[in-house]
Amino acid sequence: MAVVRRGRLARNRLYLAGLSPAAFLLALFFVGPALWALGSSFTNRALVGIDAANPRFVGLDNYVRLFGDPDFGRVILNSVIFVIGSAIIGQFVLGLGLALLLDYAQRRGFLASNFVYAAVLLAWVNPTIIAGFLWVAMFDFYNGSLNTGLHVLGVQPINWLGQGPMLAVIIANTWRGAAFTMLIFLGALRTIPTDIYEAARVDGANAYRRFWDHTLPILRPIAALTLLSITMATFGTFILIQTLTNGGPAFQTEVIALYAFHEAFQNHAVGYGSTISVVMLALNLGFAIVFLRWSRARA
Amino acid sequence: MTATTIGDQLAGPAVSAPPPRPKARAGPVEWIIVHIAFVAISAFFLVPFLWLLSAAFDGKASAYLQLPVEPTIMNFVRIFTEHDFAHVLANSVFVAVATMILVVFSVSLAGYSLSRLDLRRKDWITYAVLLLQTMPISATMVPIYGLARQLGLRNSYLGLILIHAAIELPFLIWLMKGFFDSIPRHLEEAAWLDGRSKLRALYEIVLPLARPGLGIAAGLAFLSAWAEVLMVVILIDQDNLKTVPLAFYEAMRTQGGYTEVQFGVIAAMAVIYLLPVMVVFFAARRLMVRGLMSSTRGL
Repeated sequence: MAVVRRGRLARNRLYLAGLSPAAFLLALFFVGPALWALGSSFTNRALVGIDAANPRFVGLDNYVRLFGDPDFGRVILNSVIFVIGSAIIGQFVLGLGLALLLDYAQRRGFLASNFVYAAVLLAWVNPTIIAGFLWVAMFDFYNGSLNTGLHVLGVQPINWLGQGPMLAVIIANTWRGAAFTMLIFLGALRTIPTDIYEAARVDGANAYRRFWDHTLPILRPIAALTLLSITMATFGTFILIQTLTNGGPAFQTEVIALYAFHEAFQNHAVGYGSTISVVMLALNLGFAIVFLRWSRARA
Repeated sequence: MTATTIGDQLAGPAVSAPPPRPKARAGPVEWIIVHIAFVAISAFFLVPFLWLLSAAFDGKASAYLQLPVEPTIMNFVRIFTEHDFAHVLANSVFVAVATMILVVFSVSLAGYSLSRLDLRRKDWITYAVLLLQTMPISATMVPIYGLARQLGLRNSYLGLILIHAAIELPFLIWLMKGFFDSIPRHLEEAAWLDGRSKLRALYEIVLPLARPGLGIAAGLAFLSAWAEVLMVVILIDQDNLKTVPLAFYEAMRTQGGYTEVQFGVIAAMAVIYLLPVMVVFFAARRLMVRGLMSSTRGL
């Protein structure tokens, strides 16, 4: 018995050694930066000059400044609008609609559904910075496809990136991310056998009742988890907005990740930028803990 | 808790083949309505890509969607002559291949060790990795810049490769753990009894059986390192170290404002940047989708 035990301990020690290269990388680039941000948030660390080499400890000054900063209030408001608009309304509603439509079409053997499915996925697998570039062209005032399309419908052209920049970035992010929600709900819908609908139809249930009684109960449990994970993903959006508007015009699309970046690299206030990063990480940790609790409750 | 990544938690069935099931009947009216919706959806998702293709091969490209006015491959020639793209491409391939090798090495050790580790609190590692998976890299951009500067990892491929590997690790560790879990332990135990060392048993007996998993890990690591842009922007500012995402980022940033955007040249760059992504997308769509779904990190 003792020998077996010793064998197990020795093997575990080897396995822990096997984990160490990965653990080292994760510690260095996930845990390390989080601690570095926390440390820097208590200093006046700058990008250049004397405060870059020898940052001074300033206690909670950065946090006091942050919570009294009217720009930060605006940034939080922008982030909330962006998350609600592009994740909760845009991606979730469009993704759910696409899943229902594609599932309906697949159950009827419409071959074109495979094509539509691939088209939606294409927007999602494509690197985000390319998505930004594509939408710069789509939103172009004189030649962009969006205004061309509106012209065909008899609508006046819209100065998307100048007059309605928040709506523009919301549209672009909805385009990019609807596939995620679609995939999840499509997976859930596939578990419903077609016979249930047939039986309900025979019993005289209309489409609305069939959806309400049979489809919705299957979708509801994962809806909350899906919403939470797209909220987390959208909350961290950076490169898409940077390529489209870079936070402007007049701060209208400055979301939290852009604000941290601009404070650190344009205003050279690395300490202050780190403080914003810490707030971001803390909010994200909160979301993640809720996510874990909900998914454990489900399991 | 058996599902270990966010993608798995939400979408088991979405990535596996749908079960065969009886087809429902469809009337002509249904067919027409569904296909009108399909045309609208496909247009929304595909028009940006159609424009990209046309612009890349147009000598007079604008934001307007049309067949090339002046069909040419000059845009591609120009990125190689004016933007030194051959060098940039070589850099990108080097970084992506090195990342791939590092990931395969660390993830096969870590996945195997985690699979065989015999600890009561192994679950906790699951939760820790899930938390890391939700950490937005846009939130750690500022601290990673600061940390890399202090460690001398800026403007060095070592830093870039280590970070790209770290970003992919949380998901791939769990993916590989799954593969190793399915390989019976008695195979390696027999090899130990034959007098092979633990490492040799892993290398000669276990890894060959896990080859499909290693292939997936290698492909996803290559693709992620190829496409990732934030860390490159933060870490590299020397021209001779530039990779494709950075060249694309810079080409975009120097445009706009009051100058005329060189859509054709940037579109040509985007096409080359997209090429490996498209190849994997069409060759191994399920796999790629699974890899992407595992992360909620906003980019």
